[in-house]
Amino acid sequence: MAVIVTMQYKITPNLNNAATTDIYTGFILLMGLIVLVKFIRSLFSKKSFENLLEKAPLYTAGLLLFALYDYATLKTGILPLPYFPWPDRILNGIYEDWALLLDCIKNSLILLFSGYFAGAAVGLLTGLSAGLSRRVRYWVLPLVQILGPIPSTTWLPIILIAAASLFGGSVFLIALGVWYPVTMTSMQGVLNIPKANFEAARILGAGRARLLFKVALPATMPNIFQGLTQGMSVACTALMVAEMMGVESGLGWYINWQRGWAEFAKMYGAVIVICITFSVVNFLLSLIKRRVLRWQEGHWN
Amino acid sequence: MTKRAGHISIQNVTKIFARADLNSTLVALENVNMEIQPAEFVSIVGTSGCGKSTLLRIIAGLESVTFGQAYCDGEVIAGANPKRGLVFQEHSLFPWLSVRDNIAFGLRATGRYKSGADMVDRLISRVDLSEFADSYPHQLSGGMRQRVSLVRALVVSPDVLLLDEPLGALDSFTRMNIQDELLKLWNEHKNTMILITHDVDEAIYLSQRIYIMSPRPGRIVKEIPLRMSYPRNRGSSEFTVVRNEILRRLDFAKEEQEEYNL
Repeated sequence: MAVIVTMQYKITPNLNNAATTDIYTGFILLMGLIVLVKFIRSLFSKKSFENLLEKAPLYTAGLLLFALYDYATLKTGILPLPYFPWPDRILNGIYEDWALLLDCIKNSLILLFSGYFAGAAVGLLTGLSAGLSRRVRYWVLPLVQILGPIPSTTWLPIILIAAASLFGGSVFLIALGVWYPVTMTSMQGVLNIPKANFEAARILGAGRARLLFKVALPATMPNIFQGLTQGMSVACTALMVAEMMGVESGLGWYINWQRGWAEFAKMYGAVIVICITFSVVNFLLSLIKRRVLRWQEGHWN
Repeated sequence: MTKRAGHISIQNVTKIFARADLNSTLVALENVNMEIQPAEFVSIVGTSGCGKSTLLRIIAGLESVTFGQAYCDGEVIAGANPKRGLVFQEHSLFPWLSVRDNIAFGLRATGRYKSGADMVDRLISRVDLSEFADSYPHQLSGGMRQRVSLVRALVVSPDVLLLDEPLGALDSFTRMNIQDELLKLWNEHKNTMILITHDVDEAIYLSQRIYIMSPRPGRIVKEIPLRMSYPRNRGSSEFTVVRNEILRRLDFAKEEQEEYNL
């Protein structure tokens, strides 16, 4: 399949004799190679064979989509430049700027995780204590109910004016977005713990600290991770908005900056890089979740 | 004779709950008196809602009394204590802990884990769950889960073991198996056993004495001593006579309740 797509790219004449490189060829052939490796592995393992059989239409469609897009842009110009650069151009854009992009990824991740961990930590503290203590809940709940529905990005213009440092302001923004779902879910989680769990622990001699850390906390973990997952998607949104509006580094800033130069290929490239970065972050989060919640039903293996 | 621990004394205990609507009250227990000797196996039978669980929770220290007094070895019961273990009906294992860690919870909580770690493994194999020591509760059958609950309560060597319908949710074969296991564990550990059940046969098969309770308000209507030797034959005529006596009493208790409602 990859070979056919490559031939389509190489053989079909280009529109207006546009200059092309072999990066796209290499990319498509790499894809083909990955599938080929999977195919060879499937000859030896029944499990990977079934896996490949299930995914084969998806891989084919993916490659076809590349070919179709390539055809519509580079070959025929149905989708015109400069708004629709062909795949080869996008890949070249990423290739040219990779050092800058790596730096942007680093800055974005620093900002993302600073905000994320700050928000998650404070959220856990407020959520757990509100779940455990009626008095804390009395004061925290209205606060959460008022602040919660406001999208955290709403505060951005105020932060741009008021914050001493843009970085600190953005961390606060992201943290605020994470704080809300983590607080809500961990509070709900504590309130939903079956009473029998606490009673059994008390009868077995557990003191207050043990009830908190060895019963309430692990029992709430499924809810906490629900909040952490929601929080991650909020954090990513807030990060992008903050970087596009004010912060002078990171992937959001890069897209906006390239727009200023009308470098559409590089903007698309950045979108792809963002997609990969956030996918990796979410994948890591789900790995941790799997590990921590391995005791749950439906989390076998 | 050495004085053994595990004596429970319930004196004129009345328990009144405030109802949800706050304007009325519910008398769960009325003037209950009980004397349970160390290492005795006693059952409390009654229809659901007769307050037998409340009584057990008072002995466990999870509920306070409204009037009267509950004593364990001469001391007023105030709060939960590992000396009085409790096995719940179901769903009280910690789902995030493996079988071994569930059982070890009590040892860790009372700071005895170092000296008692091998006790955990011994008890696990005692109830044939060695294969499942690292499994999580949701991977076990209902019967296995109740065995774990039983052993988890026993690991801290309680003087009194309170059983709140521990076998109520199990099928009859599993139930009979675990009943025999209960008798064996009782023989080995010699704790006082107080069993709540609505299964009359279970009460007769296991206990030396049976209290029958009537509902609303919960009162003890009859105390039946059983002198049959263990293991008991569920089909013997003596067994049947006692069963009929209890069922008649429970029926009687129901009639009285209907009168009470008028």
